[in-house]
Amino acid sequence: MSEPRLVEVRRNVLKKNDLLAHELRERFRAAGTRVISLVSSPGSGKTAFLQKTLESLRERCRVAALVGDLATENDAERLARAGVPVRQISTGTVCHLDAEMVQRALDGWDLRGLDLLFVENVGNLVCPSSYDLGEDLRAVLMSVTEGEDKPRKYPTIFNTADVAVITKSDLAAAVEFDRPAARASIEAVRPGMKVFEVSAKTGEGMGEWVGFLIADRDEGSHHTER
Amino acid sequence: MEGITEELQSRGDPKLTAVHLRIGEMSGVVREALLFAYDQACSGTPLEGSTLLIAEGSGRELAITAMEIEA
Repeated sequence: MSEPRLVEVRRNVLKKNDLLAHELRERFRAAGTRVISLVSSPGSGKTAFLQKTLESLRERCRVAALVGDLATENDAERLARAGVPVRQISTGTVCHLDAEMVQRALDGWDLRGLDLLFVENVGNLVCPSSYDLGEDLRAVLMSVTEGEDKPRKYPTIFNTADVAVITKSDLAAAVEFDRPAARASIEAVRPGMKVFEVSAKTGEGMGEWVGFLIADRDEGSHHTER
Repeated sequence: MEGITEELQSRGDPKLTAVHLRIGEMSGVVREALLFAYDQACSGTPLEGSTLLIAEGSGRELAITAMEIEA
């Protein structure tokens, strides 16, 4: 047997997903659809926040949502109450969405009729960070009940996101949420990151968030591939 | 794994002894988890019996840089 030989390969492992995400981004761009994805840990209020967002936007533009979960269609049913088109992506045992799942879920959907499309990822602060979904804007959520150091604990996901949203602000006093500590934690992993503070329950801060989405869409700037 | 299998096929299916990876700090990939799963994931594939060697990359990098084969 001969000596092992070292062969240079140079292959990007996530290449397949990156290519698909690139295709998706081109498709969204051509259709004039702006895509916003939401990532967070389970239970941080993504669905309630998205439901409120959809309700606030539906009078002003054409919106729709894709929602990812391992099992159940509960979130899609909740979001459908906002009266906008919603599709569920059931991932089975997979803990994140990838570009192929998004592509499959969009099958037969005419995007030209849509101004904004929201993609709610599976609740997970780790794996979704590695997968570009072709979105223009990625929002990472953290609730006031989670602990102010979430960004420092999960820097990768905060780094792949464009904006941060602190949710359940109506509970801030009850859980003695340390606002400056949370802001400092975000600032430490992603300096200059835009931060929103909202309560889907009381509506506090939702106006600023929705205003930002509309301005962001009108401005039409597309974010770089992640 | 698909990538390595393709590379092996294009070289006439030599025996693979090692795979070299570079993983960046922000890639979202955990070195220990990969090493843990590697043997199990490779069993029954052309990668079976090979060793995974991981080098530190930069940023979001996650790339196969080289493989060792017996010609």
